[in-house]
Amino acid sequence: MKVAGRQAIYRYPLLTRASHWLWVLAFVVLIGSGLQIFNASPNLDASDKSDAARRVLAIGSPADGVGTTTVFGHTFVTTGWLGWTDDGMGEKSAHAFPAPIIIPGYQDLAGGRRWHLFFAWIAALCWLAWLISSAIKGNLREMVLRPSDLRKLWPMQAYYLKLRKEPPPHGIYNPLQKAAYTTVLFVLAPLVVLTGLALSPGIDAIANPLTVAFGGRQFARLWHFVGMGLLVGFFIIHTFQVATQGVVNQMRSMISGWYQPQ
Amino acid sequence: MRRRLFLASAASALAGCGPIGSALNNNDNVRRILASAEGLNHFLIGTRGLAREYRDNDVDRHFRVNGFATPSDTRYADLVARNFAPYRLIVEGAVERPQTFSLAQLQRMPQQTQITRHDCVEGWSVIGKWSGVRLGGLLDVVGLRNDARYVVFRCMDNDGSGNLYYESLDLHQARHPQALLALRLNDAPLDPDHGAPVRLRVPTQLGYKSAKWIARIEVVGSFATIAGGHGGYWEDQGYEWYAGI
Repeated sequence: MKVAGRQAIYRYPLLTRASHWLWVLAFVVLIGSGLQIFNASPNLDASDKSDAARRVLAIGSPADGVGTTTVFGHTFVTTGWLGWTDDGMGEKSAHAFPAPIIIPGYQDLAGGRRWHLFFAWIAALCWLAWLISSAIKGNLREMVLRPSDLRKLWPMQAYYLKLRKEPPPHGIYNPLQKAAYTTVLFVLAPLVVLTGLALSPGIDAIANPLTVAFGGRQFARLWHFVGMGLLVGFFIIHTFQVATQGVVNQMRSMISGWYQPQ
Repeated sequence: MRRRLFLASAASALAGCGPIGSALNNNDNVRRILASAEGLNHFLIGTRGLAREYRDNDVDRHFRVNGFATPSDTRYADLVARNFAPYRLIVEGAVERPQTFSLAQLQRMPQQTQITRHDCVEGWSVIGKWSGVRLGGLLDVVGLRNDARYVVFRCMDNDGSGNLYYESLDLHQARHPQALLALRLNDAPLDPDHGAPVRLRVPTQLGYKSAKWIARIEVVGSFATIAGGHGGYWEDQGYEWYAGI
């Protein structure tokens, strides 16, 4: 098939495209509602129960009009951004993350939990359907990082940095893409699902070793937050790369499936 | 230029999510769809296994106080002043032998001690040592009728607007070996701020299920006609009835 007069390849099957956009939606909702849930207790402790002595992150408001963020005991003033923020009702008050980035856009823990627990299912079932279909169709093989790709990682990065004229030879996905997708889909996605389960009392009663494996309930909450942060990091880099590597071609291929090789 | 436009629109799309989410959050149909996850979680996770039990030196000496303010009405003040001697736990509804229990009677029943973690829906946790009567044991004493489905806990605390706190468990949850009517916390009689003289402990679910200051236990076939009809004070405010996750 030709797109814009040039030869194109069918790069993304329907299920990949559908799950990609469903993930985008679920990702945005899970981040927003997750920050809403975080706001109800804006501390992260590296322990089983809450323990101020093992506090890794604390966002608070020591006085009206002041917001602070404490990371490993180092306190930064973050008024307006974290701790003392827009409450979504036209005022500023003691809220960790600001209302415009939380779901719902004002303090509502019950609402945040409803969104979070529903879209957690959407994201997880979507992942499962994509995984099974990709494994059957063989697309997974193109995507997963292999030991032989490791020595190509730096040459690929060197190419991006314009230190090298040609990228190392590779298939549909280059070695850096494979590394990123493998990390997101097979490390970070399972991490946020398992840590989310591990901090739930009903799951803890069924599978206590899971909660223990992450260091206990509060520690699982910390890992859940770290996993979220890494996924946001991937999201930013991914969006930047799509925007800089032929945004029209990239977007078209994830909508219609047809990608025009450069 | 195009790149900057793309990034700017992506950023504004993200910033718009909060208000859009708020609008959708208040739509009844959306709310019903989102709440469907609760049924799935209840079915799949349910109340299985046992909450982890800890050792004595894991216990938090200062157990965090949360929830409504300690009752301040004259009746409760009188109970406290008289060391809960006039207190009677009423057990009624779909039971074979409705009856009342004094604190002394409850103390004479077989006691269970558990050191378990209290997981608040807000995200924090605290470990306490609880002693009291197994809820399942008490239900055996009064005997359940065939139409019994839920055990409702009527409490003495209110939200400041006069709405009394209440909670409910189904029979499976009520008969869980760790579902406890606690009379003691950390080797001392329950103090007023922690729900004296009798409170519930449900370590397999989030803290709001563990009702404090229980006055009356009512066994019912359905909780649809009680208060907001969702089986608990916080459930009536939009929280899940199944609080295992």
